[in-house]
Amino acid sequence: MKIHTSLLLTTLVLASPSLWAADASHGEALFKQECSDCHNATIPGKNRKGPALFGVVNRPNGSLADYNYSDGMRQQHFDWDISHLDAYLAAPKKAIPGGKMKYDGLEDGVARADIIAYLSQNH
Amino acid sequence: MSTSRLSSLLAVSGIFACWLGPLAPAHALPSFARQTGDDCTSCHVGGYGPQLTPHGIAFKLGGYTETNGSGSLPFSGMIMGTWTHTAKNQPSGAGPHDGPNNNASLQEVSLFLAGGLTQHLGAFVQGTYSDIDTRKFAMDNMDVRYANNVTLAGKDAVIGVTFNNNPTITDPFGTLPGWRFPYASSELVPGPVASPMIDGGMEQQIGGVSAYGLWDNHVYVELGGYRTLPRSLLRNANVISSGESADFTIHSVAPYGRLAYYQDGHKQAWHVGLVGFAPEVQSASGAGTDKYTDFGIDGGYQFLGTREHIITVNGAYIHETRTLDPSEADNHKGHLNRFDLSSSYYYHQTWGLTAGLFDIAGNRDATLYGADSQNGSPNSRGYVLQADWTPFGKEGSLGAPWANVRLGLQYTDYTKFNGASRNYDGTGRDAKDNNSLFAFVWTAF
Repeated sequence: MKIHTSLLLTTLVLASPSLWAADASHGEALFKQECSDCHNATIPGKNRKGPALFGVVNRPNGSLADYNYSDGMRQQHFDWDISHLDAYLAAPKKAIPGGKMKYDGLEDGVARADIIAYLSQNH
Repeated sequence: MSTSRLSSLLAVSGIFACWLGPLAPAHALPSFARQTGDDCTSCHVGGYGPQLTPHGIAFKLGGYTETNGSGSLPFSGMIMGTWTHTAKNQPSGAGPHDGPNNNASLQEVSLFLAGGLTQHLGAFVQGTYSDIDTRKFAMDNMDVRYANNVTLAGKDAVIGVTFNNNPTITDPFGTLPGWRFPYASSELVPGPVASPMIDGGMEQQIGGVSAYGLWDNHVYVELGGYRTLPRSLLRNANVISSGESADFTIHSVAPYGRLAYYQDGHKQAWHVGLVGFAPEVQSASGAGTDKYTDFGIDGGYQFLGTREHIITVNGAYIHETRTLDPSEADNHKGHLNRFDLSSSYYYHQTWGLTAGLFDIAGNRDATLYGADSQNGSPNSRGYVLQADWTPFGKEGSLGAPWANVRLGLQYTDYTKFNGASRNYDGTGRDAKDNNSLFAFVWTAF
């Protein structure tokens, strides 16, 4: 299992230059600060006010069967790859018009990369 | 002094002794956690109410309606068991059914309608039984609100309307009387003879409607008015006993206003604000009116970080001016000020330490305060220290999201009580004699 996890993480990092220098440990701290009131990223299927983020990287959007997504999210069809996650974290309301996430966005691109690196570890 | 005379003085002066009426208790409700899927720690500093985090502020202003869509019933309960020791016995008994000291009590058993009722309508309605005073199930705090998200001047805003029965109970910031520290207090200790009217002087006996809004997640405005609730309702709800009338009958409408600037930076949050409340009530003699104008300034700061170490500082200063019927006070015009400051530290949302200061000061008036103060002064000053432990309330906690519990130990020290440090009431009782140790087990489910 650990080998598979390492391989997947390595693949993700190599496939995304923006994550090369990302600090997943710092990303965890940022996640707790910015996201953890509404999201859990460590327990599979643990929805809070926001959907579970364990395994979110490369997951089809709006795909958790037991979470009540917004119409805005349901109307779009993509996978949560690095670029979609980065755009969503930067400006959620612009990325998903009609979405229900009440977060203004994170301007700092390095911080976003760190959070995504942390999310990439949780799958 | 006869009981009826004392009651009249209580009515005109805003006096409230802690053992005579219910305190505004604090709440952290698992029904909210079940509705949202969030932990108690998401909305409350220390994993237990009522001190709100920015996430909790948003939930409250949103009308208690936000949900993860999983479906849940908006019902909760709460039980608080307490033990109280005062430095010196209270010879006539700490309460109607209690001995002079070292009393154990079932201080609060509450049931709540708490949560979203429709997409935009939510409620926080509490009924409480206490074994301390009337021993009846009675109406407690109520806040029913409608809220919606809109765009105003190009910015996001949440606006709403609330029907409630206690000025400041609607406030989200945790610095005004309805929700300030200490969040749990013993009802079996003597309390200062006076406090401004906005400080619970009319709680549960009045009803009001306020319109509110938070614009651009920065500017909070609330405007409303209160009237005395019908006597029949108050009696049926056991707020007053059969044969009693409300302590105050408001003339026309008592205006309430609130303005605050708020900054939520996720890592930290702060606010500064103003508040005002101006009831004009029928005097106890029935011949005239008593006018109270309360004006306050407050501020609060929270360092939240990764939520491992949380520090908060809350403060408020309230100035009350009043014009009383000449038959009821020595001074036709008077004033009363109250200052509160508290700071807390929570580690891992589990272990908490809080220190608070309070200072009450006003003009002397033998008619108003003479029964409890030898020199006719309402001045009281002291501090409160609390240590508490909240073992649950986190993701994966035992019982989550069905139950939470807090165990606390609180010490209150008076350096001045009702105008003096020594022999404040003329019977030889000193301020320090009212110092108290209060232990509580507080559970919500």
